[in-house]
Amino acid sequence: MIGYVAGRSPLHRAHPYTTLALAGTVLLTAFAMTDPATVWVLVLAGAALGAIGGVLRSSVRTALLLSLPIWALLFVLYGLLGGDPRVMVGPVSLSAPGIARALVLGGRLTAIVLSFLTALATTSPHRLVEAMTARGVPFGRTFLLASTLTILPRMRERAAQILEAQQCRGLRLGGSPLARLRALGPLALPLILGALAEVDEQVLALDVRGAAAGVRRTALDPPPDSAGQRTLRWGLLALVAAAYLWKFWRMRG
Amino acid sequence: MTPPVSLAGVTFTYPGAERAALSDLSLDLEAGEIVALAGAAGAGASTLLLVATGLAPRLVGGTLTGSRTIGARRCGIVFARPWTQLTGLCSTVRDEVAFGPASYGAPREAVLEAAARALEQLGIAHLAARDPSHLSGGELQRVVVAATLALEPDLLALDDPAAELDPDAADALYAMLPALARAGTTILIATPDLDRAASVATRALALERGRIVRDGAPAMVLT
Amino acid sequence: MSASARAAGLPMAWEGVSFAYERGADVVRGVSLRVAAGESVVLAGPNGAGKTTLTRMAMGLVRPQAGRVSVGDWDVASRRPDEMARRVGYAFQHADQQLFARSVREDVAFGPRQLGRSDAAVPAVLEELALTECAAVHPYDVSVPLRKVVALAGVLAMQPAVLILDEPTAGLDREMRGRVVGALRRRRDAGITLIAISHDRAFIGEMAQRVVTMKDGRIAG
Repeated sequence: MIGYVAGRSPLHRAHPYTTLALAGTVLLTAFAMTDPATVWVLVLAGAALGAIGGVLRSSVRTALLLSLPIWALLFVLYGLLGGDPRVMVGPVSLSAPGIARALVLGGRLTAIVLSFLTALATTSPHRLVEAMTARGVPFGRTFLLASTLTILPRMRERAAQILEAQQCRGLRLGGSPLARLRALGPLALPLILGALAEVDEQVLALDVRGAAAGVRRTALDPPPDSAGQRTLRWGLLALVAAAYLWKFWRMRG
Repeated sequence: MTPPVSLAGVTFTYPGAERAALSDLSLDLEAGEIVALAGAAGAGASTLLLVATGLAPRLVGGTLTGSRTIGARRCGIVFARPWTQLTGLCSTVRDEVAFGPASYGAPREAVLEAAARALEQLGIAHLAARDPSHLSGGELQRVVVAATLALEPDLLALDDPAAELDPDAADALYAMLPALARAGTTILIATPDLDRAASVATRALALERGRIVRDGAPAMVLT
Repeated sequence: MSASARAAGLPMAWEGVSFAYERGADVVRGVSLRVAAGESVVLAGPNGAGKTTLTRMAMGLVRPQAGRVSVGDWDVASRRPDEMARRVGYAFQHADQQLFARSVREDVAFGPRQLGRSDAAVPAVLEELALTECAAVHPYDVSVPLRKVVALAGVLAMQPAVLILDEPTAGLDREMRGRVVGALRRRRDAGITLIAISHDRAFIGEMAQRVVTMKDGRIAG
């Protein structure tokens, strides 16, 4: 499940900047950190965010689906090609430091994916737009960001429609891998071509309704913010900065 | 008073096209006119809407020669397919309709008032709290028209606006237009629905291959 | 199947079908409708009455929560949509979702080829709908209304025994409309079963042998 899921969790109700800051902190820190302990703290943090957002089960499921191939690749790569000492896992001899490395990399990936999915699931594009508008961000930028958030659900809906239309023309789903590959054209092409064709019309329609007016937009329902949330966001920013400073200090020393 | 649109010898070609979409076309519109554009697909009716509202070549690309003066302070355009005209970012119909006025920075109360008025005009005040993504094509088209009217355009271009509407809703949409025209809005409609267009239009143009071949009373032109 | 057998239409029946989306609103409530082989029926009624959902059941795109749908001797419940395509040609209201081939001709030929049938009917269908001129053009390079005609051509080229059409004339100019109605009339006269959802009063007058009005998920009157 990728995309916004309505809800009343603390993450849903917080100011969108706060939700994004929390998820972004886990994400950015996971990029920087490499020691196992920190990485697993981050994975737990990512999971905790998902739990607070009420989307833990679906996020974990999707995260696993997305990252499973990479986990497998990591284990094969580092496990087989890593150095000594080696350990027997069933019939295969794997490198112990290699496995450790794979675990850390996989952990970082999982923390990133989990926090990203949670952010997506708990940030309503509408509220984000309102928050950015209230802050005076020009509409072009808000539209770009918010549209990126909604692109996957929209694509999924279109894809479902195209699937139906092609099935009604006799396209059989499933079957041999070759058959599936051949089915890709009739499914993917209308998706892309149709989306492109529609963007043209949307640009015209929105332009006429003032999307590019260049004036500061009026926010109708700006999400409430608080001094506490602002402090939290600054704190998180400081945390991320500290993590990166520490990483660079360690790299030099 | 400047006319809403004045075109003299306008030729417009889409980017990469071999043939011009509009050829040496001249047209003067007056405030409060309702002009129906008739023509087969490719005759230039839709293109004329884009040129008259200034969207071509600005956003569409292509080359325009000849003279064009747009006196209208604000233009609105409505296309046939409603869902491509939504922002996709509004969770309620009211917000979607308010998008236009909000874009121009009007104070919150004025924005909400304009939205409420537009919803009333289209008879969809009862949809104000609904999620646009759960509406039928017909309801959605009325939302889009409301969203365009919320900006009180002087020039309103409609490209087959009732394509998604059932007969009653289509009748209601066309029936709204004379009142708008009386208030000073100039309306251009391109549609294959010649009967409905004839029932409200004050003038009709027939287009063929990018040229105006007939210009006159709807009863005569739209038979 | 021989060509003459394919030209004949099949009867269709919806028996006591009901369907409601998860969010609650009943879209179709206990509808029973029988269409005889070769009959031409128009489904009319306000938006949201359940007409489209009812027709989607015929392809197996929507599975009724109660009742049974059959096309000839086939129970739709035991068939996939691509199997139903062998008997029923479904023309969607919005054509864009199926067009993808390099040219109009290729796209129209897609359906017959998928069904393993000869695409010999394609040139005739293109000619009938005045698409021969743009046969080599990419579907997305033709105008939006024309794309709808192309999609219809694709359905007709499959030579189905039953035609289900969702708003076949919406958005078409006078000339295109004439061509489409002519093509459908010829199919009707050849005995193909025709079921159309339409708001077009003229179309109903020209094509319908029977008009079934739906309102609030039920057949009215």
